[in-house]
Amino acid sequence: MSATERTSGTPQPIGFSRSPLGVVGMVGRWIALFVAVVLFLLPFYLIVRNALSTEADITAPDWTLFPKDLQWGNISELFNDTQVPMARAMYNSAVVGVLGTAGQLLLASMAGYGLARIPYRHADKIFYAIVATLMIPAAVTFIPSFIVVSSLGWVSTLRGLIIPTLFSGFAAFLFRQYFLGFPKELEEAARVDGAGYFGVFWRIVVPNSLPFFAALAAITFIGNWNSFLWPLVIGQDSSSWTVQVAMSTFVTAQTINIHELFMAVAVSILPLVLIFAFLQRYLIQGVTQSGIKD
Amino acid sequence: MSFWLFVGPFVAGLLIFSYLPIIWSLVLSFFEAYNTVTPSKFVGLQNYIDMLTDHNFLSSLGTFTIFAVFIVPLTFVLSLALALLVNQVKIARAFFRSVFFLPTACSYVVASLIWKLSIFNGVRFGLANTVLGWFGADGIAWLSTVDPPWYWIPLVTVRLWLQLGFYMILFIAGLQRISPTLYEAAYVDGAKPGWQVFRYITLPQLRATSVAVLILNLIAAYQAFDEFYNLIGNQNYGRPPLVYLYNISLGSIQDLGHGSAGALILAVIIMIVTLLQSRIFGFGKAGD
Amino acid sequence: MPAHVPNAGLTRRDLLKRTGGLAALAAFTAACGGNTGRPSSGGDDGGGAKATLSQWYHQYGETGTQQAATKYAKAYTDANVTIAWTPGDYAAKLSSGLLSNKGPDVFESQLNIGMVKSNQVVALDDIIADVKDDFQPGDLATNTVDGKVYGIRMIVDPQVIFYRKSLLDKAGIKPPETIDDLISAAKELTTNKVKGIFVGNDGGLALGGPALWSSGGDRLTEDHKPGFTDARAAQAFGKLHELYASKSVLLGAPTDWTDPGAINQGLTAMQWIGMWAVPGMQKAFGDDLGVIPFPALDAQGKPAVYSGGWTQFVSAKSANVDAAKKFVKWLWIDKEDFQEDWSLNYGFHIPPRKSLAAKASKLQSGVAAETVKLTADYGHTDDPAWTPKMNTAFNDMLTNVIKKGADPAAEITKAEKTVNDELSRLFG
Repeated sequence: MSATERTSGTPQPIGFSRSPLGVVGMVGRWIALFVAVVLFLLPFYLIVRNALSTEADITAPDWTLFPKDLQWGNISELFNDTQVPMARAMYNSAVVGVLGTAGQLLLASMAGYGLARIPYRHADKIFYAIVATLMIPAAVTFIPSFIVVSSLGWVSTLRGLIIPTLFSGFAAFLFRQYFLGFPKELEEAARVDGAGYFGVFWRIVVPNSLPFFAALAAITFIGNWNSFLWPLVIGQDSSSWTVQVAMSTFVTAQTINIHELFMAVAVSILPLVLIFAFLQRYLIQGVTQSGIKD
Repeated sequence: MSFWLFVGPFVAGLLIFSYLPIIWSLVLSFFEAYNTVTPSKFVGLQNYIDMLTDHNFLSSLGTFTIFAVFIVPLTFVLSLALALLVNQVKIARAFFRSVFFLPTACSYVVASLIWKLSIFNGVRFGLANTVLGWFGADGIAWLSTVDPPWYWIPLVTVRLWLQLGFYMILFIAGLQRISPTLYEAAYVDGAKPGWQVFRYITLPQLRATSVAVLILNLIAAYQAFDEFYNLIGNQNYGRPPLVYLYNISLGSIQDLGHGSAGALILAVIIMIVTLLQSRIFGFGKAGD
Repeated sequence: MPAHVPNAGLTRRDLLKRTGGLAALAAFTAACGGNTGRPSSGGDDGGGAKATLSQWYHQYGETGTQQAATKYAKAYTDANVTIAWTPGDYAAKLSSGLLSNKGPDVFESQLNIGMVKSNQVVALDDIIADVKDDFQPGDLATNTVDGKVYGIRMIVDPQVIFYRKSLLDKAGIKPPETIDDLISAAKELTTNKVKGIFVGNDGGLALGGPALWSSGGDRLTEDHKPGFTDARAAQAFGKLHELYASKSVLLGAPTDWTDPGAINQGLTAMQWIGMWAVPGMQKAFGDDLGVIPFPALDAQGKPAVYSGGWTQFVSAKSANVDAAKKFVKWLWIDKEDFQEDWSLNYGFHIPPRKSLAAKASKLQSGVAAETVKLTADYGHTDDPAWTPKMNTAFNDMLTNVIKKGADPAAEITKAEKTVNDELSRLFG
């Protein structure tokens, strides 16, 4: 995605907000905003409410806004549950998330830079070949993928969880678009000093693109953290379960343990919520930058 | 060659982990491949013919074209509206941005569980039915009712909840790139604040972002899988092409020939629609 | 967005089709060693060294089942057996595993002829030969293709209708004996708080087979022809729509029909469910629990019970087929105490061995005993020639009839075509 206009740098109130539409319009917009906030937060409220309820509270005929006795014990119930290795699963997800994100960004950013900046006759064709992979639904190439990975002997290993997910056409696509818009003058100055592509990339381009990296890192990390089917099929050894797989043990073919499930949900999204609280500023900055153009 | 130094590792991985499986699927699509990935009986185009005459597959494609026609503009309008709302707020802007972006942290699995168990279950302790109860209305079995097709309400709302924040961020970024001088010039020329400015300044300036949002949305709509799989399962209403194909290939049927053929048909449709849309909106030109 | 790998779901209807289990949290102990789902070592052709076998289970709902499975594996001394306990999409994991060289040596599933045709499983006639007479004919037939037995039944799970006696008494009605009785009973039992019956959130796909049997039909005839195409079958499917449309069916319950949650929470007066749930329901209601088979279509028809369950197989891709067979023989044929434990100590299942079933004291009183009797009288097992593809077509037909009120005869014709295509592929 790229803009047609140079960035102004500072966020400006725009469009119909500049001149007041009168008090009615003002109130209307605040009401709309308020309603939207309530609707967006509603599911989070349900997670917290159910996580701190007993089974009976949740299934009671009359809605309780919040359980009378908050069941904080549900937290220790979850982590002391010898049947579900929740802590271990959190650790596994963190390792997979961090390594997977780092590897994916490294590979995709280099590929994106090469495609955007280094002249090569077939660069366009390679770019289209990368974009084309986005259109093939992964659900159906799943079995061949699994066979490839299993013939490499990577079943039940960290390698098998991480490496096959590193080559994201989507990330490479975004990086290429971003680097196309990266100010050329910066690079040229360094090249005059005798730096090669490699030096320019690591010393000039990357340090000047950190918000964009941060934005993609956040999105990639979420994707890794939330993926389910691949970890389920690859992780035959239960000590290699990720959070999503561990969470799924509360929903079996026969039963659902609602309160523990929701506590697991709360615990599983908490790290992401914290990451967002820190990164959301960079996210906007990064996305904004993705369209810088000469 | 520096080009390959940069692109080589990525392309090598893509060849092994994307292209090899894709080519393998392509091969499978020309064979009778029940419960096997190394089939021996070549059937030519028969799998493709079967899929193109399979009324279930066709009807799921049809349903999802309708789904795309609704969900894509809806996502577009609502995420743009959120972006405009958030952008004009002077206080606590970061808070509002975070609230709308937060659902992106949830997986489809998590969101589906909340929707199915707590909001749109069909019994008296579901939130939606509780609210209906306040108005004296009878509860509705949201996910089980096909006439009227109530099941679309949970399906569409869960997708909106999960996705709007992401597209909103794209629009906010786009809005922030619009130069204030453009607006000033417009006011000098006597443009009225509100719709006129939005129509003649904001919207055209957002063209690149809009196209990106539309295309990402459209691909996502055709590849819809998770919430349908989790909320409806493999039933023949609200069954997207991918759930149907998933059941054929990966579920109990294990008919990899027909499954692969169907997947490739779907891929071709997505490519055609994407290309058409690019033609119309000129996507990609900006990047060249 | 960045999901290269689909996020598939936690629940899966297909898995539910024949599950056994009880309402409880699935068991898992991280500490109980040997949880590697798959051996790293190869075969034992060298002799001497112990083989390593991987045994795959889906996740049972009953507390203690995983510890039990691990206990059995540990007790076996002729090979190192490791357990892979699978939450979520077992069908997907199993099908991927069986296609690769990293699959199970021994696994539980249900047989269909496709598994035999593509050489995924090996025949087990030699290990079952001595005790063949001790199995019910139906449990043998469901695992037999072309005269060879491919699986050993682990548990039998009858599915029937359980009901709250007190609620029927209060409404002054007798347990239904025909489908029409069932429909009118469901109507009368429905109040503004409680629905008459729960047959699954999908509106009753699980009843398709039983309704068909109650009309005198079957999915396939003995000579592999569609057996669901006559007017009586159409009438039975139409009755399922009538039930669905009577507004007395519970829909959208948080837990599905395989879980006693709905009846235990007082959301319904009757529920289609398996015998596995009896301990859970008895805990909630004590003696206030009755059982009936799926009622007969009419005076001409017969009641029906679906006799599902799980079966143990040996993968043909195993590097240690002989060791795997030996293990299966040991666990599911020789070790009667373990078989008894598996069938009776977690949920209630009928032990497939007649000799063990006869001794099962827990199944000799109350509704459990009645269910066992109904199963003996009216039980139906699956035909392995009925493939998952046929089943999908059959279920699509049911959805159209039950939920959309489509004409049964027209829908039958559509499903019949798919089934015939499959049959001609399989049998020429």
